[in-house]
Amino acid sequence: MISSVNPAVKMVAIIIPGVLLSFSFDIFTPLTYLIFIVAFTFLFSSIPVKKWLLVFTPFVFLALGFAWMTTLYTSDSFSGGRVLFEFWWFEITTGGVMVGISLALRSLCFVALSLMFILTTDSTKFMLSLMQQFKLPPKLTYGILAGYRFLPTFKHEFEVLRQAHRIRGVGRAKGVKGRLRQFRRYAIPLMANAIRKAERVAIAMESKGFTGSHDRTHYHHMSVGKKDWVFFASIVGTFFLVVFTSYQLGYLNIFGRQF
Amino acid sequence: MKKRLPNQIPPVQKQPALIRTENLSFDYEKKQSEPLINDVSFSLEEGEVTLLTGASGSGKSTISLCLNGLYPEAVEGYAEGTVYFRGEDISRFEKGVLNQKIGIVFQDPESQFCMVTVENELAFTMENLKVPRKDMAERMDAVLEVTGLTEVKYRAIHELSGGQKQKVALASVLLMEPELLILDEPTANLDPVSSLEFIQLVAKLQQERKMAVLVIEHQLDDWMAYIHRVLALNKHGKLIADGPRDKVFAEYKETLTAEGIHLPKVMEENTQKLGGQTPQFLEPSLSISNLSFKRKERTILQDLSMTLHKGEFVAVAGENGAGKSTLLQLMAGILSPHKGTVTFQDAPLKKWREEELRKHMGFVFQNPEHQFITDTVYDELSFGMKLNGTPEEEMKEKVTELLGHFQLEGHRLNNPFSLSGGQKRRLSVATMLDETPDVLLFDEPTFGQDAKTTDELMSIVLDLKAKGTTIVFVTHDMDLIDQYCETVFVLDKGNLAFSGTPEQLWDKESLLKQARLRLPYRVRQQKEEGDVYDLVR
Amino acid sequence: MMKQWKLKEIVLMSIFGVVFAVIYLLFYFFGQGLRNFLTPFGLAPFGYEVIFGIWFIVSIIAAYVIRKPGAAFWSELIAGTVQVLIGSPAGPRLIISAAIQGLGAEVVFAATRYRNFSLYVLVLAGMSAAVFSYAWGWFQSGLAALTPGLIAATFAVRVLSGALLAGLLGKYISDQLAQTGVLRGYALGKELQEKREKEAS
Repeated sequence: MISSVNPAVKMVAIIIPGVLLSFSFDIFTPLTYLIFIVAFTFLFSSIPVKKWLLVFTPFVFLALGFAWMTTLYTSDSFSGGRVLFEFWWFEITTGGVMVGISLALRSLCFVALSLMFILTTDSTKFMLSLMQQFKLPPKLTYGILAGYRFLPTFKHEFEVLRQAHRIRGVGRAKGVKGRLRQFRRYAIPLMANAIRKAERVAIAMESKGFTGSHDRTHYHHMSVGKKDWVFFASIVGTFFLVVFTSYQLGYLNIFGRQF
Repeated sequence: MKKRLPNQIPPVQKQPALIRTENLSFDYEKKQSEPLINDVSFSLEEGEVTLLTGASGSGKSTISLCLNGLYPEAVEGYAEGTVYFRGEDISRFEKGVLNQKIGIVFQDPESQFCMVTVENELAFTMENLKVPRKDMAERMDAVLEVTGLTEVKYRAIHELSGGQKQKVALASVLLMEPELLILDEPTANLDPVSSLEFIQLVAKLQQERKMAVLVIEHQLDDWMAYIHRVLALNKHGKLIADGPRDKVFAEYKETLTAEGIHLPKVMEENTQKLGGQTPQFLEPSLSISNLSFKRKERTILQDLSMTLHKGEFVAVAGENGAGKSTLLQLMAGILSPHKGTVTFQDAPLKKWREEELRKHMGFVFQNPEHQFITDTVYDELSFGMKLNGTPEEEMKEKVTELLGHFQLEGHRLNNPFSLSGGQKRRLSVATMLDETPDVLLFDEPTFGQDAKTTDELMSIVLDLKAKGTTIVFVTHDMDLIDQYCETVFVLDKGNLAFSGTPEQLWDKESLLKQARLRLPYRVRQQKEEGDVYDLVR
Repeated sequence: MMKQWKLKEIVLMSIFGVVFAVIYLLFYFFGQGLRNFLTPFGLAPFGYEVIFGIWFIVSIIAAYVIRKPGAAFWSELIAGTVQVLIGSPAGPRLIISAAIQGLGAEVVFAATRYRNFSLYVLVLAGMSAAVFSYAWGWFQSGLAALTPGLIAATFAVRVLSGALLAGLLGKYISDQLAQTGVLRGYALGKELQEKREKEAS
């Protein structure tokens, strides 16, 4: 199961194809890999399909927008091929459309990879494993965890501020200057409060004997075993396999150069 | 009638003292002629419960952090004098060692944890102590049992109630098996019953484990029975009283009162209800009929109806999460009900123009800072008038008057955020008073305030009330309700469980228990006297 | 590496990271809207570029307030990671982008040996982050596929945005915060305090 894979290893395994995919400009490579990632997610995790789709679907629309824009603005080195149609000052070519679709698929790949990570990983264990496997300093690890803990409180505080402003008779902001002033009215109290909390939490942590030393015991012992390497090899290995196949079939396109 | 407290015999003292400070001075900035903590010497004995009290801003909380050696290092402050732990200078301790002998529970339940779940937070403390992994589970379960938290072990801390959060804080400190437990106003944000439960838990643990306890508190009453000794600080960070409990409160009564320190109610004259009998209110000001409110399909308030009158002082009480603040927000029209209506002066709130409504109705938030929207105290006070287009001259005059009335003259150009707690509270009320409002709503305005600030606030409020303003307090403070309010509404799980005078409420014991409220001190005292009388007879 | 950092500084940096992760994500969607709006004018590639500077702002604020080596880099990296954790469509590569942007700002502060935090240095840091991020975007976001004219124009806009929205706005927000007195325990607050004392005497 993906959820029991060491989070730090999982992160690295996902970043490698996440970065390398950016070099491909063809359709075959991201499409094949996307299918693999989605299949892998559902085969080896208990994420409900409905939940996954709920998060994934909005990104499909984002990706389409992305594809459309790229299609319009593709440079000459990519926009070869037949002119499909023209409007305004745009010239839509087959090459442009190809690159657009490729970029859209690529961004969906990123989303699918992200979801595979987010939906199967406990953020606390992720940080702990960065500390235990990658030797991230404990000070930084627990400092980040302490900050992350405040995430749910921000929404509530934002809501209270909105109400308080209404009581004071602050209306909706108009114009750029008004907007900027309004942004400030929210940002300053939110951040001022956050800063005070940071100070208090840090003191509370130190008063519980936290020194930031690496010499500490671990309640959650994070380890890297065979299963983690199998996961790593599957995700990264399959990526290279897809690239190789794409090359064999003559689809591979890196920076507009066909191989 | 002579008041009695259980006798507390101080434990036999061993030498040397657990903690001793000699001429301790401290300030966050560089050395000053009058540092925040000014030349303080005292000692804390093994197994003793000591109360540290003082007005807001007297440096009570700061002292506790000097005792465990976190200050001055953590804030690069200035410090002089020496602190000894069992006769040894604390500056000689290795980093982190002393912190494990002295456990602190802080005031704010929101900002003393660094992990998401109860389990992981407790693990964090044990990891700091380098407890071997195989022992962790057992120790964790034991401490959860002691604090009654076994059921919430795997829950996220931010979803717990305030009382539970403070117990988590206590549990994680207990894991260190501290020699000294410092409690920094741990119950300031809790409802009356949770607060009492917490205090009783600490008292029980203290008796079992014989650890020394230092309690920093404004509200002394529930602690009184457990305290051996009292220390008091004045506004200038000087120690003005140090001695056995009864002696300090007997001998320093005037000094303490002058410093704005709450006295235990046992020591005060019998508190009387103001005004004697309840006046008749005729003119309605705000009325609610059949109001219901839901949040994400969850019913928060269910079919409430009530009427508030001109010049009436109303309290809304109930357990945390009973819907008190939501009701207040509905009254102010910053939330809209799902069913039912709120009528303000003959017209439903929906029909009011926003600007007009805000002129006639004020709302004071629990955290004053949420209300501040400008850079200076002056701008803050003139903001509403500028919106209403008040002429410059009139505005200046009015602001000057408000500054005077709320004792903020010297702070005209200061940033509102940089004021002290009491000043912020006063300013937050003042911003609502550019025109005398017809209704003024307060959400927990006396939380964590010292006696002086509370008194100041109450005198302002009574002033407004006399002018015919309807006052609504959401509060946990039963003594305040008993002393000032004419009408109480009790909410229990979204239902209106009671409406009537405080006197009527105090008779309904089962209702009070159900809504996690307590009798005010005055009534408890009367009942106790009655019990004694019954026994004698 | 974190030896000279106080725990409260780390927690503060982390909270900044969390706050701005949320703001960054909001701006991502705002940028998307801006781009759709600009498309009929043929200016869509500029949709993100004009507001790109906002994505470097936490580096500037953290470095300016805390003034310790690594503040710019780590705060941006935290903001990037948190964005991924709360669900950014940009995906895990955002972590790399954040690290590179943070590095871009960090090198400027490092070049002054963390001694100079004047407006000019802050603006330069914002611009440097923009340059780094553009170089990375060349590979990442398919900037290489744009026409040369557009590349020059978008580059210029991004650097300008970095100067204004990161450098200038970052300084403005930090100074406003310092005015509230909550930064008393941090480098920026102390500097302000000293300035006031000097003026007073």
